[in-house]
Amino acid sequence: MKARRFGTLIGLVVLCLVLWALTPFFLTVSNLLNIAEQTSINAIVAAGMTFVILSGGIDLSVGSIVALSGVVLGLSLHAGYSPLVALPVMIAAGVLAGATNGLLIDRGRLPPFIVTLGMMSIARGAALLITEGRPISGFEESFRALATARVGFVPAPVLIMATVYLVAHFVLTRTTFGRYVYAIGGNEDAARLSGVRIHLHKPAIYAVSGLTSALAAMILTARLNSAQPIAGTMYELDAIAATVIGGTSLMGGEGTLAGTLIGALIMGVLRNGLNLLGVSSFLQQIVIGGVIVGAVLVDTVLKRPRT
Amino acid sequence: MMRILPGLVCLLAAATSLSCNRAGGDSNAATARPVVALVLKTLNHPFFVDMRRGAQEAADRLGVTLQVQAAEREVDVEKQMQIVENLIQTGVRVLCITPSGSREILSALVKAKNANVPVIVVDTRLDAKAAADAGVRGETFIGSDNYEGGRLAGRHAVTVTGGKARIGILEGIAGHETADSRLRGFRDAVAGEPGMAIVASQPANWERDQGFNVFQNMLQAHPNIDTVFAASDLMALGAIEAIAAAGKTGKIRVIGFDALDDAKRAIDAGTMDASVAQFPYEMGKAAVESAVKVINGESLPADIMVKLEMVTKPTSGKAREGRQ
Repeated sequence: MKARRFGTLIGLVVLCLVLWALTPFFLTVSNLLNIAEQTSINAIVAAGMTFVILSGGIDLSVGSIVALSGVVLGLSLHAGYSPLVALPVMIAAGVLAGATNGLLIDRGRLPPFIVTLGMMSIARGAALLITEGRPISGFEESFRALATARVGFVPAPVLIMATVYLVAHFVLTRTTFGRYVYAIGGNEDAARLSGVRIHLHKPAIYAVSGLTSALAAMILTARLNSAQPIAGTMYELDAIAATVIGGTSLMGGEGTLAGTLIGALIMGVLRNGLNLLGVSSFLQQIVIGGVIVGAVLVDTVLKRPRT
Repeated sequence: MMRILPGLVCLLAAATSLSCNRAGGDSNAATARPVVALVLKTLNHPFFVDMRRGAQEAADRLGVTLQVQAAEREVDVEKQMQIVENLIQTGVRVLCITPSGSREILSALVKAKNANVPVIVVDTRLDAKAAADAGVRGETFIGSDNYEGGRLAGRHAVTVTGGKARIGILEGIAGHETADSRLRGFRDAVAGEPGMAIVASQPANWERDQGFNVFQNMLQAHPNIDTVFAASDLMALGAIEAIAAAGKTGKIRVIGFDALDDAKRAIDAGTMDASVAQFPYEMGKAAVESAVKVINGESLPADIMVKLEMVTKPTSGKAREGRQ
């Protein structure tokens, strides 16, 4: 497993070297910061997605939860509440939607695919309903600083991303909850029989995904100076792709957050590089799709028992 | 994971060589020419494909390199912002953009301003107040007046129905400047006519399949609709299919917007009544011509308006020839 993680990192480095050779605009400080900033939103959503996929589930509703918590945030700010009130309200919205997913999956014994597919539509509809389909735009500078400020030369979204990953990594590797995430994904029945309280931990896992979606919505809203009910469409696919490129098994029980971060960076670097090279947007989709399938292919080949 | 590397490199190499082929010519000459970027909402709509062709024609004629980028989905403001950020890194001289959102795109344009890249706004206007607040000013706006287009369609509806109709409207995406303007224009044009009743108005989000479904539902609720205004031709074409499925072809008048080739064929065939023609080819051409003027330090008017035209059966053949 160590060797595989190393492999993903080498993949990222080689990708960077290739782009460095192909375009003079790639390896500059401003462009690298640019990539880190552009990657932050997908990386944060993917962190929560990693918890879910590690537990053997899937969360298709993250993009819609980004939209819903984003417009909740936008409406709260426009109603005159300070960010100190609006941000917790936004986080509550995300966590609530995520926990609802988890409760339905656990108590209702429904497949995660179906429940989160339903939530994808419900959260999107709710976002459109409470905004009447219109974007909410124009916020105070103090709030926008969450996306526009720089600490030293590092953009704020990059710092938020780093904090999310440090905390999530600690939770996943150093707490019992984190170990149970792996245990549930490895073998749910075995975990239940050995006394893991699934009824508590499953909703919590999906709540983590709701939480990271809300944090991503915060950056997105500040970055665009607008909360859009149609925001976040297809984010679930980007987050799943980053997780899978990072070596997390879709079967659950196996993977790391470091891998997911590298997976998200590979996607960010690839998109940025293809932009810099002026590759047509149609070809970009083909290249990115090829990388996703290639990464999973490698994952499967490596896992095949050697004969 | 190690085995992904050769694949990655191949994909990149293939993509690069393909894009170089597209640009044509040797790379030395290409790097010496100033680069003008055209950022579109999407490239999977004939409107923007035409705009790109117009821009390419002007770029080839005027000796500049044109870089066209677009988000995969029309409403993806965040992706447009990423594209703008990335283009700034490559040192483009002028940025021409069709904003995915009149307000939302401003954050990206502030970045262009800070990098001293002049901006030319095409097709969708910036929100005037928000742009002033953000300190963003486009060099010029190139587009046609969507409100005027909506009025044109409304007046046409009044004329051909003799001022008496039961109208169903298929709207674009709610909150979208283009959608709102076309809708307001149409409503204002029919508002003064007591015989013109709008019985239903629903968004079908610019899409053909949604146009089909939404209009099918509308017909269920209001079987006596006799006129449809769709804020884009793709929705109108969807509605035409729904009308055919209901066996009402020829009984319901369909008025669209954009005058796409498919729509002109439908007008010739008699399944569609009319469509408001915009001239995206002209917009793309004007965008690059203006960009070259900016590079040469020439001044530009605040607005460059591209004409609008009502395409009906007698005129559709003519309009098609006039497009090239």
